[in-house]
Amino acid sequence: MKNPATLPGRVLWNAFFWTYERATWQYDLMVIAILAFVWLTPPDWLGDPTAHGSGPIGWLLDRLR
Amino acid sequence: MTFTGLVGRICLFPLRAIIRACVVLRIHPNVLTFVGVLINFAAAWALALGRFVTAGFIMIVANIFDFIDGKVAVELGQVSEFGGFWDSVIDRFSDIALFIGLIYLYSHLGRTDYVMITSLAMMFSIMTSYTRARAESLIARCKVGFMERPERIVLFMIGAFTNRMAGVLWVILVLSIFTVADRIILTYRELRTTGREAVV
Repeated sequence: MKNPATLPGRVLWNAFFWTYERATWQYDLMVIAILAFVWLTPPDWLGDPTAHGSGPIGWLLDRLR
Repeated sequence: MTFTGLVGRICLFPLRAIIRACVVLRIHPNVLTFVGVLINFAAAWALALGRFVTAGFIMIVANIFDFIDGKVAVELGQVSEFGGFWDSVIDRFSDIALFIGLIYLYSHLGRTDYVMITSLAMMFSIMTSYTRARAESLIARCKVGFMERPERIVLFMIGAFTNRMAGVLWVILVLSIFTVADRIILTYRELRTTGREAVV
C-alpha cells in the first residue's frame, strides 16, 4: 500500500496506520487532539449520562452570538 | 523532549521509590500483579456507583501495581514466561472490570445507548490485545495502532477526574476500531509478503 501524495491525505493515512512510538511529537499531537475532543466537546452534544452543560465550546458560541 | 516524554519522566520519579521498596521487601511480582487487579475491581465498583473521582484515585493506585510488577521482576531477577502470561491475563480482567462498572452505571441510569457504546469499546479493547497476541504467533511483531492499554487507562483516569467519561468512551471506541483494523491489515500484508496467507 502506497502513502497518498497530498499532505492532508498523508496526515490522515499516518493517523490511521499508526506506527509512531510514545514520546514522539506525533504522539504529542495525537494526545492534544484527544484531550481537546474530550474536554472541549459539550457533554450535551454527546448526550453524556453523567455530565451536562455546553462546555467551553458552548460558552464561546454563546459569547459570539 | 516531548510533552508526553516529560510527563512520563515526572511520573517515573516517585515510582522508582516504590519499586525500590518492593525489591527490598522481596515482594513477588506475580503478587503485585494480583493485588493490582483486586484494586481495579474496587475502581470498577466506584465507577458503577458513579463515584468517578474516587474511582480515579483507586485507578491510580491499581495501576501503580500494574506498572511496577515488570520492573520489580527485572530487579529481583524473577522474570519468567509465566509472569508475562499471568500479567497479560490479569490485565484483561482489569480492563473488563472497568468497562463492566460503567455498563452497570449506564444501565442503572437507563441509558441503553451508552451501555452499547461501552460494550463496543470493551469488545474492541479486548480485540486490540487479542489481535496482537494472535498476530505475533504468525509474524515477528504487530505493534501498530494508537490505542493500547496505557492509553486506555490514562483516558479512563482523565474521564473519571474531569467527569468526561462519555467523550473518553467515544475516543476509546473509535481508536480501538482503528487499532484492530491496523493489526489485521498488517498481519495480512506480512503473511502475503512471505507467501503464507495461502496456507490453511
